[in-house]
Amino acid sequence: MPALQRASFGYLLRHPWQLALALAGITIGVAVMVAVDLASSSAQLAYRLSMETLNGNATHQVVGGPGGIDECIYAELRVAHGVQNIAPVVQGQAESGDRTLELLGIDIFAERAMRGFTASASGADGLAARVSGLLTMPGAVLLTPRTAGELAVEIGDRFELRVNGRTRNAILIDHIGSGAGTAALDDVVVLDIALAQEWLGMAGRLSRIDVRADDDDAKQLSRLLPADLEVLNAGNRTQTTAEMSRAFTTNLKAMSLLAMLVGVFLIYNSVSFAVLQRRNLLGILRGLGVTRGQVFRLLLGEALALGIAGALFGIAAGIWLGEQLLVLVSQSINDLYFRVSVTGVDINALSLARGFGAGLAATVVAAAIPACEASSWRPRLAMSRSVIERRAHSLLPWLAAAGAGCALLSLLLVQVSGDSLAAGLTALFFLIFGLGLCLPPAVRWLTRGCAWFARRFAGNAASLAIAGVAASLSRTGVAIVALAVAVSATIGVSIMVDSFRTSVSSWLDQTLRSDFYVAIDGGGDMAPSLVADLAAVDGIAAWSSSRRAWLETPEGRTRLVALKMAPESFAGTTLLDADPDTVWPAFERGEAVVVSEALAYRRAIRPGNTLTLQTGPGPRGFDVAATFRSYDANPETVLVSRRLYDRFWDDPAVDSLGIYLEPDADAQRVQARLRAATGDRAVLSVRSNRDLRQRSLEIFDRTFIITHVLYWLAVGVAVIGILGAMLALQMERARELAVLRALGVTRLELGGLVTLQTTYIGLLSGLAAIPLGLLMSWMLIDVINRRAFGWSMEIVVDPAVLWQALLLSAGVAFLAGIYPAWRASRAHPAQAMRED
Amino acid sequence: MPVTASTSPDASVSLRHISHSYLEGVRRHVVLDDLSADFASGEAIALRGRSGSGKSTLLNLICGIDAPDAGQVIVAGHDLTSMSERDRTLYRRRHIGFVYQAFNLVSTLSVADNIRLVLELNGIGGQEASQRVDELLQAVGLADRGNSFPDVLSGGEQQRVAIARALAHRPAILLADEPTGNLDDRTAADVLSSLDTLRREQRATLIVATHSNAVAAACDRTLELRDGRLVAAD
Repeated sequence: MPALQRASFGYLLRHPWQLALALAGITIGVAVMVAVDLASSSAQLAYRLSMETLNGNATHQVVGGPGGIDECIYAELRVAHGVQNIAPVVQGQAESGDRTLELLGIDIFAERAMRGFTASASGADGLAARVSGLLTMPGAVLLTPRTAGELAVEIGDRFELRVNGRTRNAILIDHIGSGAGTAALDDVVVLDIALAQEWLGMAGRLSRIDVRADDDDAKQLSRLLPADLEVLNAGNRTQTTAEMSRAFTTNLKAMSLLAMLVGVFLIYNSVSFAVLQRRNLLGILRGLGVTRGQVFRLLLGEALALGIAGALFGIAAGIWLGEQLLVLVSQSINDLYFRVSVTGVDINALSLARGFGAGLAATVVAAAIPACEASSWRPRLAMSRSVIERRAHSLLPWLAAAGAGCALLSLLLVQVSGDSLAAGLTALFFLIFGLGLCLPPAVRWLTRGCAWFARRFAGNAASLAIAGVAASLSRTGVAIVALAVAVSATIGVSIMVDSFRTSVSSWLDQTLRSDFYVAIDGGGDMAPSLVADLAAVDGIAAWSSSRRAWLETPEGRTRLVALKMAPESFAGTTLLDADPDTVWPAFERGEAVVVSEALAYRRAIRPGNTLTLQTGPGPRGFDVAATFRSYDANPETVLVSRRLYDRFWDDPAVDSLGIYLEPDADAQRVQARLRAATGDRAVLSVRSNRDLRQRSLEIFDRTFIITHVLYWLAVGVAVIGILGAMLALQMERARELAVLRALGVTRLELGGLVTLQTTYIGLLSGLAAIPLGLLMSWMLIDVINRRAFGWSMEIVVDPAVLWQALLLSAGVAFLAGIYPAWRASRAHPAQAMRED
Repeated sequence: MPVTASTSPDASVSLRHISHSYLEGVRRHVVLDDLSADFASGEAIALRGRSGSGKSTLLNLICGIDAPDAGQVIVAGHDLTSMSERDRTLYRRRHIGFVYQAFNLVSTLSVADNIRLVLELNGIGGQEASQRVDELLQAVGLADRGNSFPDVLSGGEQQRVAIARALAHRPAILLADEPTGNLDDRTAADVLSSLDTLRREQRATLIVATHSNAVAAACDRTLELRDGRLVAAD
């Protein structure tokens, strides 16, 4: 290595802690980004792989309305029209213990062209045995070896499955899947279609018909189908479902970018320190004839090397962290969107390259500013600190102006960017960055006042410590910004989560009005006869019913909820923009539908508009009477009355009943009567509204665990940064502190001064974080959440969040100051003065 | 103006009506006021004057670190005042050696590497550079300290390394700012001897700012900076 590079890099090697902290800042920033990217993409990929494996060679799928497809249509296609390469499927869910499994009912004879894994078995004898077993053996099912192992079931073993509220006896006759595709089949139970129909209560009905055809043949096929059936592209259908979780994963990625943004401040901080501390060296080099360009390239090259090393460490750490986050991400996706079984993180080159590129770019951008500044120095030897500080102070008005400009730009972007989530997130980052730039001027202004107070009430030494923060603004400013941004993230996200939780909680209070709710245990369809029997039970004053279904079109999926309202139920749905007294009668008559706030926002629908839905007789327009508030996980929902549903969709089943008791009825007895009325038709799940509310809030809290994890990681990055900044600052002041020691300041007093200074920095950061956090929460609630999910909510600010943030900031800075304080107090004054 | 790589045999310095001032707060301090002087090639000049009289400023102008407010600085035939900052830097790299009172060695490099750094900046590397480093260390009596780092050397040793570094690339002009200011008399005499010997060998022009009578006595001429101008010393 040439002497010039060695001269500069040697400095970093002589200060390994500074090097390590700078590396740690980059590493954690990249790690968080890579981890979130890997976890999100792995969950999505697992879902896609699973769907692709389950779909097999199917290119298209024939789907029907909520009630599925009459199986006669399949027979007609096969026999009357001679359509080849189609296979019927009945799909549903089953439970084994706490585990949810996917039931895949297939016609083994139609499968050969569709799904290789269902028909493949070892040898002709094996295949014959499998076919014969599936068709003749009661309860015969196939599982992957892994799922069978986890359920502790061996071939030939009998085991219980709970399907549609009833316990069914299954027998494992063989394993499915081999090689790489096996993981995608985990948690799938393959069985004969007739058995699936029996277990799922879908006699004579199919979930879908898989089709292997080119687009032209698919079009031909669609002409043979009744109006309520659609031929959809299988890949698009999977994609549409996978994209339901996109807003969720986008928000996670935004959180990871926040950690990276904090990382950028810290990288800037580290590089600035490294440059400032070498001003004497750089002065000597310039004196010896090193050009500005060489200085710039030297510092940038150094940052690049640091960035590469940090990004590589970050990738390694990100893969590990991704494994941990994957559990949380897939849990949330399972809770909210679709079933996904993920066995491990999928390490894809794109995610790694994105993290590496972002880490490197962040380092270079952060380093370019101090490198550019250092290269512009006139080659006066030992560039004086006062000159640098004067320059930093002269920049303050410009910083404030640039900061205010960024904040205004952010607000402007919010106004003009419609409902773009990406623009909303960009605006959020502009706001954070802009307000961050305003902090150093604010610190100088605030510190003047504090130093005056300190001198008056705590003496000159305390004043020296506090005034030192403003006097060393070129070093303290960035550390304060980094800590303030990280702490403001905790405030912003906490307020957002609190507001969201409060809104969801009051929404649940309002929505869950029945005394208790009845459904098939583990999920399933309640037949009309069962509903009628349950409704006739003594002690019930009124009941409501709901049926949730997906309507699929080539443009996407819409959640349809059919409600039979009890008189008390109407008040449980908050209408946002119309008079309930006019809306509900029209709704009940089946003359109008009500749409969720999110659907209205997303599709720009207002009361009075017409919404076209796919119905049994074909597409039909419905008048929209109002929008209603909903925090459902599938926020784009259309409410229709049961009367309207029965008229246009061939699906008599019900998902759940809301039971309103007579005033003097005993809840326990009524529940017992309900179970008795059900008999052995199903196992009922009866939940009080309190249980249901608690369960909903548990899922809500679980969803936000990962958010909390991410913001604590951002705080972690800031802690590392503040520790680095404090160490560097005290090293910078070594001579000044040594003079104090020489003048008779004791070690304890000196340590106290250093601690006072760092704690003051923490308090300043905490104070600055409060307005920044409040603005961030407004942005998260009114812009990001609105655009991502279409939800609106009241902003709820718990004062405890604010003072906890202040304590966090001061506490973090206090802890970060302990080691520098110890170091400063242990330094030998004579040596420190000589070394300066 | 591009700067050629080779050392010019012409090592004269000509200062024409130089004025230089700086701002301290809102007050402007005039340091050099219409100063003119000529130094012949190979000559040794001692600059004397009270602290703050502008000796260091004058050296900074001659080496191109600073540019005057007015006037011309012509060194070895090059008009520094017409050069860009980059060209002045390259000129300094190739034609100037500088010895400072505070040594200003690069603390992260060994003694040998401090000297090699200047050679590498001038495009001299490999065996040639190593040989030159060895010769210089030998000449300043530090042949056995090449691998040491500056912070373990005494002041006199550090200054001798600084002299070796200043002369490593055989500059036409050697500037020294209080080179013995931090040293005791005996060490100062050793350092001065090293400086004088090497300078004479290389026939470099020496301009040294000093308060030391011994240093001034070793020079061909002594000039004094007074009220911003150079006058012959009393």
